[in-house]
Amino acid sequence: MSGFEEYWTAVDAELAAAPARPVLTPVPARSTDAFTAYDVHLSSVGGYRIFGFLSVPRGDGPFPGLLDTPRYGSVNLAPHYRDRLRYVVFAVMHRGQRLADSPFQAAYPGLFTMGIDDPATYVYRAIVADCLRGAEFLLDHPAVDPARVGVRGDDLALVTASRRPRFSAVYVNAPFDAPGELDDLLRAEPAAEPAARATLSLFDPGLHAVDVPVLRAGHGFELTHEDAADDTAADAWLAGKLGVAPIAKFAVT
Amino acid sequence: MRDPESATITVPRPDDFDAFWSATLADLPPTDVELTPVPRLSTELVEVFDLRYTSYQGVRVAAWYSVPRNRPAGPLPGIVNIPGYISEPLPPRAWSERGYAALAVAPRGKLRSNAVFNPGYPGLLTHNIVDRFTYGYRGFYVDVVRAVDVLGQLPGVDPTRIGLQGSSQGGGLGIITAALRPDAVRCVAAGAPYLCGIRESARLTRSYPYEEINEYLRVHPEDEERVAETVAYYDGLNFAADVRAPTFVYLGMEDDVCPPETGFAVYRAITAEKELHTYPRCGHSAGLHWVFPKVEAFLDTHLTPEGVR
Repeated sequence: MSGFEEYWTAVDAELAAAPARPVLTPVPARSTDAFTAYDVHLSSVGGYRIFGFLSVPRGDGPFPGLLDTPRYGSVNLAPHYRDRLRYVVFAVMHRGQRLADSPFQAAYPGLFTMGIDDPATYVYRAIVADCLRGAEFLLDHPAVDPARVGVRGDDLALVTASRRPRFSAVYVNAPFDAPGELDDLLRAEPAAEPAARATLSLFDPGLHAVDVPVLRAGHGFELTHEDAADDTAADAWLAGKLGVAPIAKFAVT
Repeated sequence: MRDPESATITVPRPDDFDAFWSATLADLPPTDVELTPVPRLSTELVEVFDLRYTSYQGVRVAAWYSVPRNRPAGPLPGIVNIPGYISEPLPPRAWSERGYAALAVAPRGKLRSNAVFNPGYPGLLTHNIVDRFTYGYRGFYVDVVRAVDVLGQLPGVDPTRIGLQGSSQGGGLGIITAALRPDAVRCVAAGAPYLCGIRESARLTRSYPYEEINEYLRVHPEDEERVAETVAYYDGLNFAADVRAPTFVYLGMEDDVCPPETGFAVYRAITAEKELHTYPRCGHSAGLHWVFPKVEAFLDTHLTPEGVR
């Protein structure tokens, strides 16, 4: 087994040994005649409780599913109304982000290089585990049609789809990066560069193969900077793959 | 089909609106500024500091402060960079590379300023939204006003050349802060302004943060009137006429987060020198890719940093 495969297999084994023990709490404020919302707390590796926003359409399922992997930043929004109308949608926070920030609160800037000198301690090892835990939770949800589940986010979505090959479409909206943060580290500690690069290579999206349709910004899907138009195009692509109608955000009132 | 430019957005202006804000800004505690260099975030060109000050009700507020290392002989113009709803401020190094003393404020509730006030996200928009006196945004607004005061008092900063820059929450609060500190603010660049036409916005979109209001009212339908009453005191449309600084506004014509109807409305309500840039097919980015060089030029024109004079 390659070092790459060994690294990620160990993450899978750790997750398998850490029962998720999800607790779903209904949230009336985010529920309507069309969908029911839940706050979800569940366990991940390292004895850490993470959080996610779940929304399930009302009526007879199964429904297509959509996983939103977390953005780079402290706050993730709850799933958008248009997605709650169409999907069982789960937005997972990784450790350190708001609502999953006890006992660890991520710093911005700073998170991107935390523990980067060693692949075993790099914070993104556990962050990917948190995304995979979110993926397992959604993929196994009884209201989800297992043949129609998408994942959306930055390169974490790609890594998630690669490690849990039960998704049928992947939309990648941004690279795995935090502009300037690696530069900040290397300016202070130039000698740290080889180890940091070696750690990051394990997260290189090019090495995380996915054999289902992928729409990836900057890699065949060129963003126009007209963000409403770009979002509408990406939404239509994903909706087409998952068998639901496209909805432009600006059209939802 | 929506016609954002022609839409009418009205917000009642409470009779005691001015009195409410005068009282809010009266007797603020001394800012008690603390500056700590942060070598790790500093570069060859820019020195970065962790800045802390005291604001409304004694809350300590954090900011990043940066200055160019090659200082001109005279004082520097200043920029206050105001953050969006979910973003954490980053050190404003690019502005200092351009010749500015730049302050990126983290108002209460942001990560570095949430030790004693932390309504969370979601949560800030509806925190005590039934009561203008304890509404979460009351202290948050003051934190930005105090950031202007703090920047103007820092050594080496020219208090007559301070500009405000931000988008979304940063755009709305730019307009609001310029109205609350008309003698201190020299110019404002405001993208996709949030907190303008607040109640109406929640009817025009299903996107966050405004959707927080719809969710609040779903479980507290009896609070409709109290919510409308409170947000009228915080609405940018009610501040706009008090802005005296030249104001640059930019909007995305398909912005689902801050409906362009409300952006046009606040632009119309501004009576100061102003200019508007609109971008079709753009959402909440409000044409950032194209407009940002124009924002830089606008601020440079009014604030005249040494490097680009």
